[in-house]
Amino acid sequence: MSGMIKTIGGLLRQKKVSCAELTQAYLDGIAKDNSTLNAYVRVTADRALETAGAVDRKIAAGEPLSLLEGIPMTLKDNISTRGIETTCCSRILKGYTPIYDATVWQTLQKQNAVLLGKTNMDEFAMGSSCETSCFGGAANPFDTGHVAGGSSGGGASAVGGNLAVYALGSDTGGSIRQPAGFCGLVGLKPTYGAVSRFGLIAYASSLDQIGPICKTVSDAAAVFETISDRDPMDSTSVGRKESVLAQLEQKPDSLTIGVVKEYFHGVEPQVETALQEAVRTYEKLGAKIVELSMPAISYALPVYYILACAEASSNLGRYDGIRYGYRAEHYNSIHEMICKTRSEGFGPEVQRRILLGSYVLSAGYYDAYYKKAQNLRGAVIRGFEETFAQCDVILAPTVPMTAFPKGFAEQDQVQTYQTDICTVPVNIAGIPALSMPCGYDRKGLPIGMQLIANRFEEKKLLQTAFLFEQEMAGEIYRKTEWGCRQYA
Amino acid sequence: MITKEEILEIATLSKLYVSEEKLDDLTKAMGDILAFADTINAAGAQAEEYEGLEGLSNVFREDEVLPSYPAEEILQNAGGGENGYFPVKKRK
Repeated sequence: MSGMIKTIGGLLRQKKVSCAELTQAYLDGIAKDNSTLNAYVRVTADRALETAGAVDRKIAAGEPLSLLEGIPMTLKDNISTRGIETTCCSRILKGYTPIYDATVWQTLQKQNAVLLGKTNMDEFAMGSSCETSCFGGAANPFDTGHVAGGSSGGGASAVGGNLAVYALGSDTGGSIRQPAGFCGLVGLKPTYGAVSRFGLIAYASSLDQIGPICKTVSDAAAVFETISDRDPMDSTSVGRKESVLAQLEQKPDSLTIGVVKEYFHGVEPQVETALQEAVRTYEKLGAKIVELSMPAISYALPVYYILACAEASSNLGRYDGIRYGYRAEHYNSIHEMICKTRSEGFGPEVQRRILLGSYVLSAGYYDAYYKKAQNLRGAVIRGFEETFAQCDVILAPTVPMTAFPKGFAEQDQVQTYQTDICTVPVNIAGIPALSMPCGYDRKGLPIGMQLIANRFEEKKLLQTAFLFEQEMAGEIYRKTEWGCRQYA
Repeated sequence: MITKEEILEIATLSKLYVSEEKLDDLTKAMGDILAFADTINAAGAQAEEYEGLEGLSNVFREDEVLPSYPAEEILQNAGGGENGYFPVKKRK
């Protein structure tokens, strides 16, 4: 599969469609379907058409277009956009309009990326269903009675519902991979430090990473290649700009795939069957399969929630109602203003996570929770190092089940946290991983396969994914509405 | 098990108000979440073994003075500000 970005870019270059027509087609799609999907929380039609006009002028003048030029896309609502309201889907940031752009958005603007709007997410990226959003959740394009996943649910719903070619999301504990898995898409969480986080509104700074949600592996490679770079504004960015797309079709010289048994504990039978089938496909393609064990996986989930909430309680301390966003109306003192603003502005899940974070960082409990979790983070990192000494790529489920019905996540927080079991270890270790479709359950909902590689091995990861996609394309994509509405 | 008093204390540290009617539910929810967080104790002494394993180091760079964002623009997110400051009501 050549990917939508290449296909649509080709159509623009060959003048088979103008960028304005293409953009308008997507805007019409949004006008028609967004009330059902709730993928977008803000549509930037004027701006999109303005960019499209600039692209069309370049085409008319015979100027060459860059890779992502003129391609309609979306940004998650936690990625800062100068002059465009950015709320993290929280009441507390209502009315906040950033005065600067996130580095990823600066990079994409230079390429004349056509921004269709900002997409829905769990409030401050805290959730697995997109339902903690103050705008309500995003629906799954495969079955609108099910969630699109979270936290980048709006981006996945938009791309899956053909309302954008690609979306940028963020992944702190699975927030790109899980919704991609639920919506039959390719979602890449890059290595920590591969993509600048400058302008990404922080949830848990040692775990957050920006990445693409797309329809194909080649699209993910194109977006990743464009946004990955060193950025002086983000001291954790390492930036190893390398060409991934050009080498995507190269089969890795030797490929050993690790199947780590702990990833399969408690996985639904239909998901397990689809993954076993994927393992056999890789075997048929010449990969060596090794069965491995990584006991540290069993600690990953509580380690993640302790560290993420501790960091969140600190990062979200900045919302005091003084400098931006929502401010409570009636108060008698500054202290009361801050407390009221935060209590009225943050939703229940965000408040629970702030409280948990404050608790694990408080004097009496720091050693029992935070310090222990930091140490066990080391155990998870060591576990992956040992595993990658024995294989190139790990194959695992993205989520132990397919998309939840709407309302499931609200019933039991701990049960919902446990659905993140397969995605959080990667964030703890800072390594790259992607989710791609590998089948469907009986209800017709997509099953996500997760591929995990060692630090900065995105190229190998994407090549391995591409190999599977080429083999399975007809089978896996039969149900996705492949193509860009009427143009592809 | 976390108590209601502890919840209220943590809420004060977090600058959040917890209303009386929500306190019971929140205490239960936090108890469940902490019971789940407690499962890291199953790792026992193993945690000590990995102390400092991450080997993290700070990244430094030369301090460089660059133009800042204009104050007027920053204040736009606070209703335009007053005399170049963020306004809050005077204490009664």
